[in-house]
Amino acid sequence: MHEIDWQQELTRAALPHAVLAVLTNGEMHGYAMLEVLSSRGFPKIKGGTLYPLLKRLEDQGLVGHEWQHDTAGPGRKQFTITEHGRRELARAANAWSQMDEVLKNFRADRQETP
Amino acid sequence: MMHETTDKKWFDELVLELRLRQVHGSAIGDTVASAHELLADTGQRAEEAFGPARVYAAALELPSAPQHEWVRRALWPSLLGLLAFLLFNQAVVSAVRSEQMLVSPAQLALVATPVVLIALLPLYLTAVIRRIWVLIALSAICALAGLLSGVVAPTTPAGAWLAIDPLPWLIGSALTMVVLSTMNTIRSLRPNNDDILDPRSTTTHSNGTGTKVVVLITNWLFPILALAMLGLALSFR
Repeated sequence: MHEIDWQQELTRAALPHAVLAVLTNGEMHGYAMLEVLSSRGFPKIKGGTLYPLLKRLEDQGLVGHEWQHDTAGPGRKQFTITEHGRRELARAANAWSQMDEVLKNFRADRQETP
Repeated sequence: MMHETTDKKWFDELVLELRLRQVHGSAIGDTVASAHELLADTGQRAEEAFGPARVYAAALELPSAPQHEWVRRALWPSLLGLLAFLLFNQAVVSAVRSEQMLVSPAQLALVATPVVLIALLPLYLTAVIRRIWVLIALSAICALAGLLSGVVAPTTPAGAWLAIDPLPWLIGSALTMVVLSTMNTIRSLRPNNDDILDPRSTTTHSNGTGTKVVVLITNWLFPILALAMLGLALSFR
């Protein structure tokens, strides 16, 4: 019997929200983002998942980036959240809360059913 | 060492895939630099961090130039150069021998074969680049067509469909090749805004002296080969 990988399904759905939330802490490069996500209990994300997502968020105007150079080594690509990104993050949080509420109701119904 | 070699192959494949998708050089440079940055941070191998290069290139969904751009800028001039070179080859022996250029329909069809195959290149370019046997097969067909065109060339005016003075064709095709090569050289010497730039250090990805020499030789390939053909025709006169 086929089992759905719920962890993977939910990670994929929640990742844009999580990335926008991470960027509200300030500008960040890709590896730092992966570290923060991991430290907050998010499942391990690969660069092959993160960068295409960041590109999509940039195309939607939610995220911006800048290559920053210093004398210590090669430049770093720093990502920032835009104002539009912050508004979308608020909407995303609202949508997740609503969904969470719906799922809670389903669970409550199931427990009440004899 | 093995690690670097594997990653180099992965990055070469990534650049090729993005070029095939007509992605602009600056976007390719940004993608490559981002990947290098993450690999330096994580210590992972490229395939491990990003998956297969072809899948990653597709997942990025980078904006691409319309396909007709490279057809107009690269394919049509190359095709015209090839046509001029083939005409030159047909005319050179007759011109050197001060004979008429004799043409038969079969010979014309065989000479046209490489031109048609190149003209249809946009339809199967990806297959040519990804599968070496397609490129070998195409080269073999073109070489065979060239050889057979010599075999079926009429030897007497009676067996010819056309009997024409080779000199105007020889001069015309030579001029066309020189003009096209000059235009291509001027274009390749200009600063190219489609170069792959590394945003980490703002240097070009691969535009060293070696690359410039290869580009120059490629630009003048048909005139060089035509001169060689002329030399051969004169020595066997």
